[in-house]
Amino acid sequence: MATSKGANTYNRQNWEDSEFPILCQTCLGDNPYIRMTKEKYGKECKTCARPFTVFRWCPGARMRFKKTEVCQTCSKLRNVCQTCLLDLEYGLPVQVRDQALKLQESMPKSDVNKEYYTQNMEREIANSDGISPVGALAGKAQAPSDMLLKLARTTPYYKRNRPHICSFWVKGECKRGEECPYRHEKPTDPDDPLADQNIKDRFYGINDPVAEKLLGRYNSMPKLETPEDKSVTTLYVGNLGDKVGEKELRDHFYQFGEIRSVNVVSKQQCAFVQFTIRASAEAASEKSFNKLIINGRRLNIKWGRSQGQQLAPRPQTSESDVPLEPVPGLPGALPMPPEELSNNYFNLGGGPPPNMPPMPPRGMPPRGPPPMGPPPPFGMPPRGPPPPGMRLPPPPPGVMPMRPPPGMPPRHGGPGMMHYPSQDPTRMGAVPGGSKN
Amino acid sequence: MPKVRRSRKPPPDGWELIEPTIDELDQKMREAETEPHEGKRKVEGLWPIFRLHHQKSRYIFDLFYRRKAISRELYEYVLKENIADKNLIAKWKKQGYENLCCLRCIQTRDTNFSTNCICRVPKAKLETGKIVECIHCGCRGCSG
Repeated sequence: MATSKGANTYNRQNWEDSEFPILCQTCLGDNPYIRMTKEKYGKECKTCARPFTVFRWCPGARMRFKKTEVCQTCSKLRNVCQTCLLDLEYGLPVQVRDQALKLQESMPKSDVNKEYYTQNMEREIANSDGISPVGALAGKAQAPSDMLLKLARTTPYYKRNRPHICSFWVKGECKRGEECPYRHEKPTDPDDPLADQNIKDRFYGINDPVAEKLLGRYNSMPKLETPEDKSVTTLYVGNLGDKVGEKELRDHFYQFGEIRSVNVVSKQQCAFVQFTIRASAEAASEKSFNKLIINGRRLNIKWGRSQGQQLAPRPQTSESDVPLEPVPGLPGALPMPPEELSNNYFNLGGGPPPNMPPMPPRGMPPRGPPPMGPPPPFGMPPRGPPPPGMRLPPPPPGVMPMRPPPGMPPRHGGPGMMHYPSQDPTRMGAVPGGSKN
Repeated sequence: MPKVRRSRKPPPDGWELIEPTIDELDQKMREAETEPHEGKRKVEGLWPIFRLHHQKSRYIFDLFYRRKAISRELYEYVLKENIADKNLIAKWKKQGYENLCCLRCIQTRDTNFSTNCICRVPKAKLETGKIVECIHCGCRGCSG
């Protein structure tokens, strides 16, 4: 009969003996050939206080030696590296990971409860296949959230393995000089919240200053606001360069739904992708915003403007849209000005180059989907309200309409007033907001 | 206290030539032994002892093998009296160990991975700009 405590193995806490540590890439360092020392029951786990096998190694030249800090049971429960306690998959603090996956993990923190919990979890780990996570993480790791993907580290961050800062040097009394293996650098501000970290808090995912910082960074990341107008199904794609053409865009965007049209405005290096339904446009914007890279170019995704907004002209184009009374006294039989000059008074950008095929007389808006439908025949005032998305061509100088076209409110005190272009206060942008109100 | 001479025999000829230097090194050794350890790291305590030990053995080695200034009889007497370390001198005669700092630095059984001390790594094989100071004897590199 076993009388001594040592001989009794029933319900006794397991001492962990492992062959290989559970580590992240950063902690292992850049050298693929590492020598490690293994010490059985070398230290107690810093979270569950049970003895475990400690591994120790140097993660590369000019790095400090690292060792495992928590036992493998704790590491498996949280799916974290045994040394840095960051998530093995994303390299993120436990708190960030749990928040992104909406995990509500309440691990016991008192002594006996903790022992009981670890015992149960060890049994569960022993029954699992050893690959999939157990506990609260089970099944969750396969559902990556957008937040995790954005915050996750994709490359190892070896600066984390650097030696610590020499405390003697900080006090000004380090006598080792160049031979000192510690870093002779100015320490971070002790009032910095990041300076106050605690291994238990980091493991349980509470009060972690690093996590707070990362969550703050996530909240301040640019987000794409979906327009209220449900009829908008157009996405603006900017920063195309000359490598990305319509084919590449179609190749990327067809996966989200049927595309109605792709308009590439090569001069502006942008394109407008219109989907047939709103849902696919939303899916496309969500999946591509800030991450779409085609042919090595990071593309800029925005929503197109709604048709209603498009009708309301913007200041830079308003000038050409206002039907103005021509200056009287000019000879009526002047030849038509060349098309590229008809609305480009100062020879600024916006008009088509002379050698291009004829385009609608009014320059297209630089942004927003191009108007639908063919322009009306030149010189013929349109009948009825203009179709949405179309701009009214102002009458050419030869044809003088007696009243403003329908759909346009009369302005400048009626048709009888004369208008000189130099009188228009908005002409040079002196008054913001355009002449329409 | 002077070192106890074990043999009653009088020292061979030429002893009076090397005696002052030996005495001076003995004196330095005694000072190093009584030096306070405050302000030193744990490993630093023995460094001056190892250095003086090396210096004394090196003096005898140079006199006999390089400058051929002392007789074999006197050399053997010095080794027998443990004034010079015959094990260290034996290593110096081997190729690649001509400048060996101390015997601990080549004792591979004392290290985790059965390796020599960092001071045994040739400068060319070390990463550039790295300054080493071995923990055994404070050697800064004794392998070329």
